[in-house]
Amino acid sequence: MTDGGTPDAVAAARQRPGQALLEVRELVKTFRRGTRTVEAIDRFSLTVNDGEFVAIVGPSGCGKSTFLHILGGFEPYDSGTMLLNGAAIKGPGPDRGMLFQEFALYPWRSVIGNVGWALEVQGKPRAERIAAAERYLKLVGLSAFRDAYPAELSGGMKQRVALARVLAFEPRILLMDEPFGALDAQTRELMQEELNTIWQETRNTVLFVTHDIDEAIYLADRVIVFTARPGRIKDEVNIALERPRRADVRKSAGYIAYRNRVWDSLRAEVLKAREEFQ
Amino acid sequence: MSAAAFYSRARRTALGLALPLAALVAWEISARLGDVPSYLIAPSVILASTWDMATTGELWQHTSNSLVRALGGYAIGAAAGITMGLLAGIARPVERFYDPIVSLTYPVPKIVVLPILIAWLGSGDASKIAVVTAAVFYPTFINSLYGAKGVNRIYVWSARNMGARPIAVFLKVILPASLPQVLTGLRVGLALAFIVTVAAEMQNSRNGLGFLVMTAEDSMRFDLMYAAIIAAGVIGFAGDRLLVTLRRRALAGQAIGKEGAHG
Repeated sequence: MTDGGTPDAVAAARQRPGQALLEVRELVKTFRRGTRTVEAIDRFSLTVNDGEFVAIVGPSGCGKSTFLHILGGFEPYDSGTMLLNGAAIKGPGPDRGMLFQEFALYPWRSVIGNVGWALEVQGKPRAERIAAAERYLKLVGLSAFRDAYPAELSGGMKQRVALARVLAFEPRILLMDEPFGALDAQTRELMQEELNTIWQETRNTVLFVTHDIDEAIYLADRVIVFTARPGRIKDEVNIALERPRRADVRKSAGYIAYRNRVWDSLRAEVLKAREEFQ
Repeated sequence: MSAAAFYSRARRTALGLALPLAALVAWEISARLGDVPSYLIAPSVILASTWDMATTGELWQHTSNSLVRALGGYAIGAAAGITMGLLAGIARPVERFYDPIVSLTYPVPKIVVLPILIAWLGSGDASKIAVVTAAVFYPTFINSLYGAKGVNRIYVWSARNMGARPIAVFLKVILPASLPQVLTGLRVGLALAFIVTVAAEMQNSRNGLGFLVMTAEDSMRFDLMYAAIIAAGVIGFAGDRLLVTLRRRALAGQAIGKEGAHG
């Protein structure tokens, strides 16, 4: 795991590998469209263990992002329970670190000002938050850009800053909502490798939502396939590819077998989702 | 700056100045040849009169009277407009509370309520400051309202996710994110403050630049009228430049404020 000098030694120390960190039971979410009530998520249950990397794939509009927003405390839901480390989730909070597709960096703040933002509003002393921000900037390889502004960075760099910003306040779980969805295909693949390397070091618990099967298999320990709306678990695949995963794992027979398995599950749902749109 | 850049810039400046200078020269020549109406006094005469008024302190007296009214009303109107606008932008009930009254009164030219304000507050500075306040309120309110309403929802979500309390979300996210539009409102408001001040002084005042214009007209002293116009133009221009500089500083690093900062 991590040696003493890495940023997440603290986070790693509090981990209890193999034990349930996030427990979602029978979550139901509906919303109104005109006079109709639409079911977005139907009695969805999920357990994520401490230190586990779980990816959720599903057709667009299946409610997977909505699920993440509910976990983040931003969207209301109808019924069900959500526990993080045994305590009920109520409203937004820094025990869950959200990473959005749109980066959400503050354009009026420099890179270092963005990364230290959470510690600043939490009232940490200046020296401490600068030190933490610099540590995490180094982890994502952007120390040289500490004084740049977000407008001066490429999309991939912005998302790395956003990742450093989330890691800096040491949440118990990372909730990533299609974090690489706004990037071009090449940058996207490099970012997946980068995230894999960083995760190898920090071992955060991650719940990662994407529509990209390759991304899910390459990154995750477990892939969950969502059904078309209403979102339910269609399939669950443990990815037993060995870690650390190098880029060429994508060419291995094991990887391709997983890819076929997930795609077979997902295909029917994508077709169903498409019918609904037409 | 390299020599080439200097010359290219000088050329652009010269191009921009060509028309006003030519007009001034034509004006001066025709005024001296004497075949123009009496209100077209030669620019050299206007400059001389302006200089005289400036050295006796009379021009400064009127200018400072106008400045007190314009800036007094500007400060109050902008403070109220920005505060209420931002609050209305983040809280629906506040917006619903203000919307009907703002929509109804916005298109009313503010100067028409001056007689009412004079009846209420007297003909001193208070009524003029009040009418300027009203004029400045609207552009600052409306721009702040839409600035706050337009703040990316994800910015606010991120802030809440990072453990920010509502007051921190307001001060550290809503306020800076709305700043470009708030500054736009401040700029529009400043121009209105000067316009309404001079208009109010033309209607009812015993000093100020608007008063100077009216007395100059009564006594057919067109040179004094031009002096007042020049003074009003100079303070308006200086105020606007100051705001533009402030805006560039405040928005350093943001794409919108980046012209010139990086290239």
